[in-house]
Amino acid sequence: MPNISLTGVNKSYGGNAIRAVSDLDLEIEDGAFMCLLGPSGCGKTTTLRMIAGLEHLTSGCISIGDKPVDSIVDGIFVPPERRDMGLVFQSYALWPHLTIERNTDFGLRLRRVPKKERLERVERVMETLGILQYRDRYPSQLSGGQQQRVALARMLAVNPKVLLLDEPLSNLDARLRLEMRAELKRIHSEFGTTIIFVTHDQWEAMTLATKIAVMHQGTLQQVGTPDEIYNRPANRFVAEFVGSPPINVVSLENKETDSLATMVRDYVTRLHPQRPAIGSLGLRPETVQLAGPQETVPDDHFAGQARLAAVLPTGGSWIAELDCGGRTIFASFNQPVALPVGSTVQFHVAPTAMLAFDEADHRAELGTDRSRTAANNEMAG
Amino acid sequence: MARWRYALATKWREPTAIIGLLMVALFAYLIIVPIVTLLGDAVQVQFGDARRAGGERGSLTAYYILRTLTSPVAQDLFWAPLTHTLSVAFGVITISLLIGGTLAWLLSRTDMFGRRWFATALIVPYMLPSWTFALAWTTLFKNRTVGGQQGWLEAMGITPPDWMAYGQVPITIILALHYTPFVILLFGNALRRFDSQLEDSARILGARPHVVARQIILPLMLPSLMSATVLIFAKCLGEFGVAYVLGLPVKYDVLATSLYRSISSRQTGVAAVLAGAIMLIGILSLLIDARLVREARKFVTVGGKGAMNRRSELGILRWPATGFAAFMFLFSVGLPLTTLVLSTLMQVPGNFALSNFTLDYWIGTGLDTVALRTGILLAPELWQATWNTLWIVGTASMCSGLLGLLVGYVVVRSPVLSVGTFLRQVTFFPYLVPGIAFAAAYLSLFAVPRGPVPALYGTAFILLLALMADQMPYASRAGISAMMQLGKDPEEAAQIAGAGWFRRMISVVIPIQKGALVAGVLLPFISGIRGLSLFVILAVPSTDVLTTYSLRLIDYNYTQAANAVVLIIAAIAYFGTLAAQKITKTNLAEGLGS
Repeated sequence: MPNISLTGVNKSYGGNAIRAVSDLDLEIEDGAFMCLLGPSGCGKTTTLRMIAGLEHLTSGCISIGDKPVDSIVDGIFVPPERRDMGLVFQSYALWPHLTIERNTDFGLRLRRVPKKERLERVERVMETLGILQYRDRYPSQLSGGQQQRVALARMLAVNPKVLLLDEPLSNLDARLRLEMRAELKRIHSEFGTTIIFVTHDQWEAMTLATKIAVMHQGTLQQVGTPDEIYNRPANRFVAEFVGSPPINVVSLENKETDSLATMVRDYVTRLHPQRPAIGSLGLRPETVQLAGPQETVPDDHFAGQARLAAVLPTGGSWIAELDCGGRTIFASFNQPVALPVGSTVQFHVAPTAMLAFDEADHRAELGTDRSRTAANNEMAG
Repeated sequence: MARWRYALATKWREPTAIIGLLMVALFAYLIIVPIVTLLGDAVQVQFGDARRAGGERGSLTAYYILRTLTSPVAQDLFWAPLTHTLSVAFGVITISLLIGGTLAWLLSRTDMFGRRWFATALIVPYMLPSWTFALAWTTLFKNRTVGGQQGWLEAMGITPPDWMAYGQVPITIILALHYTPFVILLFGNALRRFDSQLEDSARILGARPHVVARQIILPLMLPSLMSATVLIFAKCLGEFGVAYVLGLPVKYDVLATSLYRSISSRQTGVAAVLAGAIMLIGILSLLIDARLVREARKFVTVGGKGAMNRRSELGILRWPATGFAAFMFLFSVGLPLTTLVLSTLMQVPGNFALSNFTLDYWIGTGLDTVALRTGILLAPELWQATWNTLWIVGTASMCSGLLGLLVGYVVVRSPVLSVGTFLRQVTFFPYLVPGIAFAAAYLSLFAVPRGPVPALYGTAFILLLALMADQMPYASRAGISAMMQLGKDPEEAAQIAGAGWFRRMISVVIPIQKGALVAGVLLPFISGIRGLSLFVILAVPSTDVLTTYSLRLIDYNYTQAANAVVLIIAAIAYFGTLAAQKITKTNLAEGLGS
């Protein structure tokens, strides 16, 4: 299966009134597990449906390999039934009037696969997904998780080159979701199918995908591996959307005069006397460290004083809420916080762990290692 | 160019768009064109009126509007019927709201005896044709003002006064009885949905029961009451049968009967003005309703999970309450039906001696009457009319049910948004137009050949088309809601799996919508069987359906036979409703309220 590429894809509704997707360029490599991630209404489902052929483009081109399947310029459109893709709907969309087996073998019957082979393939895929014993039941007689498996089996049975998943796990309870995640990962490696997956759940995207495409208001924000998305976000939106508890972002604009902003501004000036165009700084909660009021913190760390307002245990980890002159900073730890709630504490963050954004909210380098060393030397001197 | 090719390859590749366009054309022709033609008739000089209207045939004129509204005969043509219609409607609304409201409350919020049984039994009057009761009334109260068979009271030596036998009083009472179930359904549903916790909250804050009733319950019930009011009004506007049977002897005309008279005396222009007026009032009242309901919906909470429905304990009043419900049932169902049944078995009215009873009117032969010398069941006309009813109404319901589903499909799936919107609105339009005005519109369009379409008046085809168009509001609403509920996912899943359009229709969409289709056909079928106002204008003796046949029998004073036919219609309508409920496993009584 060659790559799928979207070039300059636009989709608007109601004669340009609503722009669902704008100027989207995206390349999905063969065998990838690509995740389209974004808040609801960001255009990710529309993108998926355009790839499937269920939504028509306003402009642009989608091609599989070098063969266009949607092209406004050439007037080409390959209908969904001839794209050889599988799509699992958020609602599962099982046919209520057909049994599980008939649901599963629908595609094979359409392709006139001989009965013997059809039965073999259907049984194998139903076996794999653990729904073989329900073959004669109707969809309404199955639980949500089982229906989900049927929806998946139905698409896998025809062995599609690309499997599209539209928030398939959102209707499942937490435990089932975990199981299905493992299942999807297994299917991906077992069948070698290219999977494109839509979700608004960053956790799901992080755990499943080999590549994540983050979308916001119809535009692509960043494409990268989960690690890149988390640690090297392209902009402030990506940084804020990914991560839980969310990243602490401190704006450095001059009109911000609270103590935290002042502290951060001073820190940046100290690090970069030339004051690069940095608009805001992001501190991931897990990089925020705490120290007692008398302890010394490393010199080059950003440090400040705050009141430990609350500690929220979440089971395996603890989230501390710090009140710094009226601004709340979240910090998370994987062990209990030893300091008493209500006391004044010091918090500090290593410079390498900080994310900086320029005034247009794009990520900026806070400074290379060398410049940082230079800054340190300066301070030492 | 390429853009067009892309559009052609996407939007117009599948039949959906074509079907949508075809249906736009079909409904424009079946719904909009007749109404436009009718309105055109109102302002154009008609055949034979050239001298009176002072213009060539077909030229524009205000003659008909002036004649209907301001001429010396306007009083008889329009103003008196309008006053009568309005006063009947307001009487009907007052009585049915009082009785229906009380019954709805007793049924849904109290511990009255036999609530379940009454909940069905009290709806029965709505399942029967309204003029069933009109015939029962004349059977009982008819006096010497008109000839023919005596009424029972007259026969027993008591002469009922005219005001009691004919005109406003009986028309109002009968229509009120007929539409009371309507209030019971609408108001009862609202009461059932009402969350008792809202009441409780007020009470806990110290409100006394009457304060709770006035400040909490009533405002929240208002939308359903207003809805019932306006819908009853709109229905009274087009009501023909009752006013025809009971108003004619004392020349008590309502708008519908005045329209009928104008049509039968071939005053096409005046009829068009009258029909236009009825239409206008109908549209206005339903627009007001839509407006009020929308306003009210802003604050109406539809009980969700927390909804609780608590029943008041009536205590010692349980018996009188049950007695009231039982009385209403006897008065609105038991008495009229018994009267009608007995009237078809008695030779001399009001004489209860055993020797007076006979089955001749049903199955007799060689009777010494002028015409109709056999019992009604042996009269070929009855079977002809029954057959006509079944096939005309049946075909029309089948077509409108299918078209309704197709409209639903196009509305949900059409790539051209405006096509769906247009279809949704145009198919709803006949709802705003009383049946009798709609029939008049059909008459004006199809009475003469127009273009390639021959004159359809006198054929069953005009009945079929009119009935179909008249049923479209229900059919398309059912179709749209069924398709909305289904959504596009199952069909798209089939498309992804590789199924083309026809395959998807046959293997997925139609099998899933089977139930909706059955309901969408049965419901209009039952209401079509007892319908009169549409047929009375369009049917001729050879295309008589049961309702118009019984009306003809009334005109010829074959009282027993007419009553028998009405009983047959009532039986078909009632058992049909029950059967349909069994088949579709739904409560059609509730559907009838819509």
